[in-house]
Amino acid sequence: MSENLVLLGINHNTAPIEVRERLAIPAGRLADATRSLSSVAGIREGLILSTCNRVELLTVQEGSPSENPDLLRFLHEYFAVPTATIRPHLYEFREREAVRHLFRVASSLDSMVVGEPQILGQVKESYTVARDVGAASTSLDRLLQSAFSVAKKIRTETQIGSNSVSIASVAVDLARKIFGSLSGKVVLLVGAGKMSELAVRHLIGHGASHLILANRTKARADDIASRFSGAAGKVEVIPFDALYDNAARADIVITSTGSPEHIFSRAQGVQFMQRRRARPMFFIDIAVPRDVDPKMNEVEGCFVYDIDDLQQVAQGNQADRNREAAAAEKIIADEVARYQQRLRTLDAVPAILALQQNAEEVRQAELTRTAKALAGMTPDQREAVEALTKSLTNKLLHPQIVALRKSAE
Amino acid sequence: MSLLWLRVAVFLYGTAALAVVPAALYDRPRWRHLAIPVAVLAVLFHFVSLTETLNAAHHSFPVDTHETQSVLGLLFALAFLLVYWRYRTFALGIFLLPLAFLLGLLPAFRPGLETANIPGLQSGWLFLHIALLLAAYAALFVSLVASVLYLIQERRLKSKSLSTATIKLPPLATIDSIALKSLLIGFPCMTAGLLIGSLLAQISYGAAYFGDPKILLAFAMWLAYIGMIYIRRHSGLRGRRAVYLSSFVFMVILCVWAANQFSVVHRFPTP
Repeated sequence: MSENLVLLGINHNTAPIEVRERLAIPAGRLADATRSLSSVAGIREGLILSTCNRVELLTVQEGSPSENPDLLRFLHEYFAVPTATIRPHLYEFREREAVRHLFRVASSLDSMVVGEPQILGQVKESYTVARDVGAASTSLDRLLQSAFSVAKKIRTETQIGSNSVSIASVAVDLARKIFGSLSGKVVLLVGAGKMSELAVRHLIGHGASHLILANRTKARADDIASRFSGAAGKVEVIPFDALYDNAARADIVITSTGSPEHIFSRAQGVQFMQRRRARPMFFIDIAVPRDVDPKMNEVEGCFVYDIDDLQQVAQGNQADRNREAAAAEKIIADEVARYQQRLRTLDAVPAILALQQNAEEVRQAELTRTAKALAGMTPDQREAVEALTKSLTNKLLHPQIVALRKSAE
Repeated sequence: MSLLWLRVAVFLYGTAALAVVPAALYDRPRWRHLAIPVAVLAVLFHFVSLTETLNAAHHSFPVDTHETQSVLGLLFALAFLLVYWRYRTFALGIFLLPLAFLLGLLPAFRPGLETANIPGLQSGWLFLHIALLLAAYAALFVSLVASVLYLIQERRLKSKSLSTATIKLPPLATIDSIALKSLLIGFPCMTAGLLIGSLLAQISYGAAYFGDPKILLAFAMWLAYIGMIYIRRHSGLRGRRAVYLSSFVFMVILCVWAANQFSVVHRFPTP
C-alpha cells in the first residue's frame, strides 16, 4: 500500500518575496485554507505549511497518480494568483521525496537560515490546525510524528542549532554596521511574532535599551511588554494609531504584522528622515507580505531589509555550518529509509491479521467440536488445553508471518 | 641629519601604508599589529627630522612647498593615529598613510630652497601660523575621506551586498562621527591660524595685505568652513551631499594653496 503522498510548494529558494507574499496565509486564515484544501476531490488528508519563507501543501491523495487533484489550481483559485505566476517557482515531491523534504523542512535544513529553531514550531502549528479541522488523520499523523522525532534527533545529535546564525543575529550584525554600538538605541516593534520578538531580544542583548511596542491588539502589546519589561531599560506601549507620530523616535523598526498592505511608505520614510535630521533608520521587515515599501530603501538614511535580504546576508555566515548540515542530511537519509520500511511493514499488516484471525477461528471451531470429549476435565486441565492449542497455532503460523513481513520489506 | 630621519620616516610611512590595506579591509591581525607600531615610529622619526630642521633654520624658516608638504604628511599620519586611538578603525589609513608617504617623498629626496627670511618676524609664530592652517587642511581632508567612506558604506548597506564582499568598513555612525569631529577640530585651528597670519602680516606689510588675493581667498575659505559646519550640524547632512559639500570646501582650500602664485605676502625669495 503506497500512501500517494504529494507535496507541492514554493519557498525562498524557488520564489522571490513578491510571489511568496501573494501566497502567504495569515495565521487566522490557515484553518479555513486547510479545510478548503481537504475538501478538494481526491484529497484524503491535507496540511498547509505557510511561513515567511514557504507555502507548502502536503496531501495524501486517493486513486492513481494519473487522476491526482490539481493542487496548482487550488493555489490559483484560493489566492486568486494566475497559475503562470506560480508555476515557474513550484516544486513537487512525491512519496519518498516528499517524506525527505518534510523531514528536511522540520529539521530546519531547508530553512533560509539553516538550523533556526522556529520552523519546527511552525510545522507543529500547521499540523495542529490540520488535525483540528479534521484534515489530518492516520497517514499524516504518522508522517508528522516521525518528522518531529527526526527534527529532535538532529537537534540533539548535531550542532546545527547551537551557534545558529538566526535572522535575529543577522539583524543585529546589520544594525551594528549602521549604528556601531547599539547602546541606548530605540527599537520599535510593530506587530508580533516569534522571529521579530527574537530579533528584539537580540537587539536588547546588544545594548538597545528602549523598546516601543505598537500592535493593533493592545492586549497583545501589553503581553509582549510584560515579557520584555525586565530585559529592556524602558518599554512603552503606544496605540497603533500613534504609530506614525512615534516611528521617527526609533532607530530600529522591526515589523511583522499580517497587514496585506504596506504599513510604511516611501513618503513616510522621507518624513521620518526630516524629523530625525537625517539620522539613519533601520527597518527590519520580517512580514510576508511586506510591511515596508521596498522603495523606502531609496530614501537617504533609510535602510530597509526584508526577509530575503536578511537571508542573503545570513548565507555569507553559514559556510562553517556545512559540516553539521552534512551530518544532519545523513540522519535524514537514514530516517527516510526507516520510515519507508515502516510503511511497507504496515502494508503486510492486514494479511497477517487475516491469517491470525483465520487460525483463531479454526482453533475455536475445533475446541467447540471436541467440547464433549473434554467435558470431564478440571479447570486446570482445560486451561492447559487452551494454552496448548494457542501455542500450536502460533508456532504453525510463525513461518508464514515472518515470510509475509520479509516480502513486505 | 634631518634629511636622513625624514627618509627613514618616509620608508616607514610606505611600509605602514602597505600594511594598513589588509588590516583595514580584511581585518588581518598580523597586518594590524604591524601597521600601528610602524606608523608610530614613522611619526617619531618625522618629528625628530622636523625639530632638527626648525632648530637649524633660526630665522630662515623653510616655507617651500616641499617642506609644508612634509608637515602636512606628518599631520595626516597623526590624524590616522588619532582616529585609530579614538575609534579603533584602520579604514582612514588606506587614504592617509599613502598620502603621508607621497607628501614626504619629495622633501626627503629633493628638499626645497625657498626660505622666509623676514627681518623682525618671530619664526615661532610663523610656524604656528603654518602648522595650524595645515592642521585645518588635514582635518578637512580627513572629513572628506570619512564622508567618502560613509558614502561607500551607505551604498553597500543599501545594495545589500555585504555578504558577498569581504571588505570591512567601520559602522556608519563611527564614520559620521569622524567626519563631523574632524571638522570641529579643524575649525579652531583654521581660525587661530588665520588670526596669527593676519597679525604677522599686519606687522610686516600693514593694511595693504587685505587686498592680497590669497588673503581674500583665505577668508572666503574660513566662511565656507563655518557654513559647512553649520549645515552639517543643523540639517544632519550625510552621505552624497556631505561629500559634495566637503569636496567644494576642499577645492576652495586648494585654490587658497595655489594662490601663492599670485600673492605678494606668500612669495618668498630663493637664495
